[in-house]
Amino acid sequence: MADVKRQYVDLVLQKIDENYEMQHEKITKVAHMFGECMRNGGVVQLFGHKLAEEFVNELNFRAGGIVPFHAIKAKDSALRGLLDKSLAQGEFLNHPEVLDTILSPYVLDDRDMYCLISLNGNEPFALELAKRVKENGQKLVVVTNMATYKNSNGTLLDYADEYLDFGSGDPDQAVEINGTYYGQWGTTIGAVVAQQITAELYNYFMEKEGAAPVLLSANLNGSDKHNNDLVVKYGGKRIR
Amino acid sequence: MVNAKVFKDEVKKLIEKIYETQAANIDATAEIMTNAIKKGGVIHIYGSGHSVGLGIDITDRPGCLVPIHIMEMTDFVYYGGVSVEEFTDKVNIFERRPGMAEKLFNLYKLNENDVFVVISNSGINGIVIDVADLARQRGHKVITITSMTHTLAEGSRHPSGKKLYEFADVVIDNCGPHGDALLETGSVEKVTAVSSIANNVIAHSLALKIIENLTNEGIVPPVLSGDAEKDAALKKYYEGRI
Repeated sequence: MADVKRQYVDLVLQKIDENYEMQHEKITKVAHMFGECMRNGGVVQLFGHKLAEEFVNELNFRAGGIVPFHAIKAKDSALRGLLDKSLAQGEFLNHPEVLDTILSPYVLDDRDMYCLISLNGNEPFALELAKRVKENGQKLVVVTNMATYKNSNGTLLDYADEYLDFGSGDPDQAVEINGTYYGQWGTTIGAVVAQQITAELYNYFMEKEGAAPVLLSANLNGSDKHNNDLVVKYGGKRIR
Repeated sequence: MVNAKVFKDEVKKLIEKIYETQAANIDATAEIMTNAIKKGGVIHIYGSGHSVGLGIDITDRPGCLVPIHIMEMTDFVYYGGVSVEEFTDKVNIFERRPGMAEKLFNLYKLNENDVFVVISNSGINGIVIDVADLARQRGHKVITITSMTHTLAEGSRHPSGKKLYEFADVVIDNCGPHGDALLETGSVEKVTAVSSIANNVIAHSLALKIIENLTNEGIVPPVLSGDAEKDAALKKYYEGRI
């Protein structure tokens, strides 16, 4: 039997290729949607909780990433005492009535568009947010895992202008050990998709403006001024 | 050149490099963690900034090991007396502070058999180094996951002048580039970060090896199955520690 680590790596490498073949044109399309929004003065508002938040974190204020993203996180309300922290840990997903509370710390703008990440596409909070976005006439991209979405009777795509798929199984378990499968790979593929969006978004800015607002790692000498200047230029409190 | 295909091809090379160069370090880490779990220990994961994603990816879903605890940065605010204004800053200055580890450790119930995994791409900031240092002082095994390329290229921001990897029993190199971003653009600004992808691959490789080790020893691995009753019983065993 091959090393379990080798089996896992082989599967991830294979899935990266499969996912690219499946949706690279849509990845470019989504990047262009994001770029258009940003060039019109908008911010791409990202929302996803827990595993879905990993995708958010790949785009939001990331080293080597593009600036005008902002993350909607329940913990921001909890940290400010606006939302009970036990709700913020996940239960809020079943409580669409806390939407306004969770959005209250942020400076949102009609020029913004939204990217909601939900693997099952059936969380009442995400559905309420999607409904609000469409009622406001704003664009919406959904990132999901279609296998989970179908098994969960998700409906979030009903609101989406475009969607992307992690392309992992449901359950997402990769390597067999003694008759049971372990080792998830969907979120790793999701992170690859997020960085592919970054690459195409960078290209979009270069093509349209000859320059792109790219963040440097906060752990490089001299990066603070570069990053602070970008934050100020692209909306200050709208993005941080 | 920068585009989605180039990123795909380059990140695949990075993942292959992690396997080729870090397999022995992952196995050594899995051995330490297997022994800790056999003695009732818990694996504490601490990472600032985006590094926290590693912990999220290997906990609290079917197929995941139960005795894993994520030391959340937000715990400083929820339980540690740090104000939200101090905690939320524009450029992650909070993570550079030394002297905060003791405060964080006091929030948790720690056991002598516990192991610490401290993750930082740069490995130069105050809090991560303090967490690793304090864990070792208290006799815990410490694993660090870092980019050796990045950490060797930057000066430490810790008063000791040391880097994170210098406090480790085992160092796992995530093989990422200086500054985390993989693709060159022809200017100082590189794009497309890879540490989260690399860390996920390392984390799942580790978890699989631990599960295999336990299984080979005839021990049922403490893994979530999706069966609510069984999972609740497993979590109960580690109550207050995970």
